[in-house]
Amino acid sequence: MSFFEPLPPVRPPTDYRAPAWARGPEDMVPGVVPVALLVARTATHAVLIDGLLVYPTGFDFDLAVRRRPSHPRQPHHRGHRWDDRLRLGVRFADGRRADNHPRHWPHPIDDQPPDPPLLYQSTSGPDGGHVWLWGLPPPGPLTFACEWPTQQIPPSQAELDAGLVLAAAQRAQTLWPDQRPP
Amino acid sequence: MSASEPPELPEPEVEYRRPAWVEPPADLVPGIVPVELILARTPERAIGLTGIRAYPTGFGCTLHMRLREVIPGEQSNFGAFNMFGDGVDPAGEFADYFLRVGVGFADGRKATNLDHRRDLDEGPAPDPPTLWLVRWEGYDRLAWEVDVWVYGLPPPGPLAFVVEWPARHIPESRVEIDAGLVLAAAARAAPIWPDQPRR
Repeated sequence: MSFFEPLPPVRPPTDYRAPAWARGPEDMVPGVVPVALLVARTATHAVLIDGLLVYPTGFDFDLAVRRRPSHPRQPHHRGHRWDDRLRLGVRFADGRRADNHPRHWPHPIDDQPPDPPLLYQSTSGPDGGHVWLWGLPPPGPLTFACEWPTQQIPPSQAELDAGLVLAAAQRAQTLWPDQRPP
Repeated sequence: MSASEPPELPEPEVEYRRPAWVEPPADLVPGIVPVELILARTPERAIGLTGIRAYPTGFGCTLHMRLREVIPGEQSNFGAFNMFGDGVDPAGEFADYFLRVGVGFADGRKATNLDHRRDLDEGPAPDPPTLWLVRWEGYDRLAWEVDVWVYGLPPPGPLAFVVEWPARHIPESRVEIDAGLVLAAAARAAPIWPDQPRR
């Protein structure tokens, strides 16, 4: 008989569900905003909002950092301090705003969903990251702003017509309109 | 003779470009095709595809993997950790558990995740089209998003998106769009630095 008892197989918990504020509804396919937005451009870098995919509760997008190909690339240093990262903010036409600083993220065990808008950046690195915005904007200009001091990207912003986001939300498709499971 | 060591030199700045078959060109804003497709749907799960981002060298899009309810005992997280295989050899005994994804061009050429190459940055350029799964993200078993990069633009005619997952009761399923939409969007891709000659 082995000294070490066999362990049960490792399996993630099956009943975990990501909170509603952290992503789009899991039973929907999103609508697409048909534009990409250039938010910042310097002689060496650009920041792009791309892949805007919209649900009735919010939208996903890529925060893409592009480096000018003909420009020498700095040796890569992994930034561990928040100050080294690309700051992103979103402002609605009614003045409400959100940014990607982790101090604004809700505690995972909070029962109550946070007030929208909330910006949750799930991945972050030298090439940008992936972002979920909880909450839809009202009609009017939707402003994206960014700043990255260590990469010499000054405060920059660009506007998108929120109507494009709201129209895409209308086109999100419910996969199983009959909500009873099989 | 001096006993001192030479000073440590700073790392040189390098110009490094990943090859065109791995990712979109860095100096273009893509043209978007607002497709919102459901490639396959069973009572338990669905696979959607949205948001084609087109460039002169190829296009990206996002796959949406959806499970309606958690199925007790089922191990798969859509195989997303292993290019849709969860460690399954697509040529082996459990091949039916490998989720297949591909694109088909009107001239018969195709690219699938079965011929995914590991040495992304090495070797000669592959013949287009190729298909790479470049980002996958999910927090539980119900929903995963997977970004795809297809190197190479389709010729005019139908452009097919195809999935198959035998073990999960998804037969070969295909949705076609007009490749002209992708070609027109690729032509709309705009230079970020217009003063720079493109290579």
